[in-house]
Amino acid sequence: MFRITHLPVRGVALMLAVAIVCASLLVAAVPGPAQAKERVVRVSGWGGTDIAIVEELIDRFVKPQVAKEGIVVKYEPVADEFSTYLMNSLSAGTAPDLFYVDIYWSHGVFASGAVEPLDSYLAKSRVLKARDIVPDLLKAFTLNGKIYGIPKDFNTLALFYNKDLFDAAHVPYPNANDNWNTLTEKLRKVTNKSKGIYGIALTPEFARFGAFAYAAGFKPFDAQGHTDLSQPAFADAFKWYTGLVREGIGVLPADLGQSWGGGAFATEKVACAVEGAWMLGFLRDQAPNLPYGVTLLPKNPKTGKRGNIIYTVSWSMNAASKDKDAAFRVLEALTSPEAQQWILERGLALPSRAKLANNPYFQKGTPEAQANKIVFAGASDGYVYPFSFGKYGGDWMTPINEALAAVMSGKATADQVLPDLTARLRQLTK
Amino acid sequence: MRIRRTQRAAEGVAGYLFLLPFLLWLLIFFAYAFVRSVYFSFTDYNLFQPPVWTGLANYLALFREPLFLTALRNSLAFALVVTPAQTLLAFLLALVLNQKLRGILAFRSAYYMPSVTSSIVITLIFIWLYQRQGAINYLLTLGRAYGHLVLAGLALLVLFQLAQVLLERRRGLPAGWTDPVLGLSSLFLAVGAVAALVAAGVLPLARPADPVSIIWLNTTDRFPQGPISAPIPLIAIMLMNIWTTAPTFMLLYLAGLQDVPRELYEAAAVDGAKPWQQVVHITWPQLRPVTFLVLTLGLIGTLQMFDQVAIIGDQAPLQSTITLAYYVYHNAFPPGAIPRLGMASAAAVVLAVLTLCVVWLQRRVLRY
Repeated sequence: MFRITHLPVRGVALMLAVAIVCASLLVAAVPGPAQAKERVVRVSGWGGTDIAIVEELIDRFVKPQVAKEGIVVKYEPVADEFSTYLMNSLSAGTAPDLFYVDIYWSHGVFASGAVEPLDSYLAKSRVLKARDIVPDLLKAFTLNGKIYGIPKDFNTLALFYNKDLFDAAHVPYPNANDNWNTLTEKLRKVTNKSKGIYGIALTPEFARFGAFAYAAGFKPFDAQGHTDLSQPAFADAFKWYTGLVREGIGVLPADLGQSWGGGAFATEKVACAVEGAWMLGFLRDQAPNLPYGVTLLPKNPKTGKRGNIIYTVSWSMNAASKDKDAAFRVLEALTSPEAQQWILERGLALPSRAKLANNPYFQKGTPEAQANKIVFAGASDGYVYPFSFGKYGGDWMTPINEALAAVMSGKATADQVLPDLTARLRQLTK
Repeated sequence: MRIRRTQRAAEGVAGYLFLLPFLLWLLIFFAYAFVRSVYFSFTDYNLFQPPVWTGLANYLALFREPLFLTALRNSLAFALVVTPAQTLLAFLLALVLNQKLRGILAFRSAYYMPSVTSSIVITLIFIWLYQRQGAINYLLTLGRAYGHLVLAGLALLVLFQLAQVLLERRRGLPAGWTDPVLGLSSLFLAVGAVAALVAAGVLPLARPADPVSIIWLNTTDRFPQGPISAPIPLIAIMLMNIWTTAPTFMLLYLAGLQDVPRELYEAAAVDGAKPWQQVVHITWPQLRPVTFLVLTLGLIGTLQMFDQVAIIGDQAPLQSTITLAYYVYHNAFPPGAIPRLGMASAAAVVLAVLTLCVVWLQRRVLRY
């Protein structure tokens, strides 16, 4: 223990302490940069490949439109965990004015009351009308009769096939007329155990399996909002999907050291994969020489229909935004026909405006344009549901995914897991 | 006298002034946050609507939820396996690195690397190592193909050593069982004998064996089978965690070793204590305070394990890796649904109480 005995030293110590305290208080009190009079609209979405796209979109189509009204657009992408960031910032009052909302977690955000309904703005707008947007997409972002987001683009599932593997086995390519039975036969012929070639890569996830359950006529929620998995349609699809893997025609991507169907497809060990247009950029980078084709998902032999899942993202507005009119002006520019045309032609995503369905781009013969055409068509062919499970979110899919994994890895049979699975979903949605 | 008193009072004020920034920080970010969490744990709160008081409902719901019970089991298993393992490994590493060898500093730095590397980076590297056709399965494959040669070599080494020591003793020379010079020649003899056996065709060079393809991460399997088992992905995280945290505790043990008085070893040597007896009867008891610290920090760290589970993320099924800390996060921001802050806070309180209890129990057992 040392003691401060000399006055000067003690004085210095005291002054130092006071200085530290003052400094720490000052740091908190320093005002931010003075607010300018310009109308700032903060725009945010997730990072990754989106950053370059949105930056160019804003520079080309948004800034020239809104600059004369004194509106300044600030783009603030968030690298990771976007939904966490958004929940936090919305509840704390620091959220941006316009932001992405993924259909998957849209219900909770819309129900929170922190997102502005857009109906009155759409009614007043001269350039953006509700009828311009693909109706199924707009419906996906509608809650209790109010529109909470303008879909910016969308994706569905399609069947990607490796032409080389089908040629080598002298099997005709899958096509739009295939049903589950004819496709199974084709896949069986392509499968070659000795060469380690499988017919199709299937993941134990509702995000892929769901499209087939829907094709069989499965309805995720009844009129009361309950889930009943005892519908025969669900068991039929479950047994067909898991049976492909149990028979050795299908394979789990994990068994090929891959985490998703696209990764497995790029190894050229599987003839087919069920994925969306996000495969195009991946294949361009990872397997540029893989000759692939794309067709619609097979029809269910009983219903004669296809099923599909719509993945879509909207631009939504903060209900606490300071300048909502400015924010809507920016939203109009972001979803303008010119902006969507540019996105489509760059092959970046599929547009949400209905008129673009007949765009000349889709008539191009390139595999990518063909794939985009198939994915676009998938949204309105048969039983199609958005990738959203209301307030339950991921909790709704977890039991189904676990059951799929147990059966597809051979630990249990479909008949063993289905009763328990049905009970779990009934309990969850009661 | 009076000058003394004011002087002392001023000193006290200066002390508190120095403490003030840290006290404020502690009050705002720990005390206030803790009190708020405890309050939220008794409410239904989703960040948007004001919290609604629900009493003990969250706690009752927690102990009925299978995922929470899984997380609880996983966390306890993790702490029970990792804490003793990393403590023992840290102690052994410290003993080895406390030798006076040329270039020991280089070894110390090398062994300390896992602890100074970001756990994110390490986890990403381990995800690669744990792949089905990754380095760990490859090493196991090598072990399966050539393991019999190593085993045969070890057996021969022991045999040759026994024979040599007995021979020396018969000649009336004092030779210990672990005599290093004899050991070296036994090693050469054993390697030569294995080579000869392989050349003569008695031992096959490589046993025909399928490549090992253990699924380390993307599986719901458990190991070992039976009532006491852990999910394989959790075991993979345990191995990784032991490897990354042991060097930190090794540093504490190294510091402790500097304080053990030389005289004790000298006295023990005079009394004829062997090196391993010195370790067991002098080093280990002298390091008791360090062991207490290492165990306490280890228990707290392992019970609150979060980052490595979060990074492994989708690579492994949730129920096979989820720990209590990750369960808290999973409920605060459930995928695709609105925050469940009440449940998350209740789980956080349970985790805090559990950590306190385990550390208290450990204090009682070690009686330090």
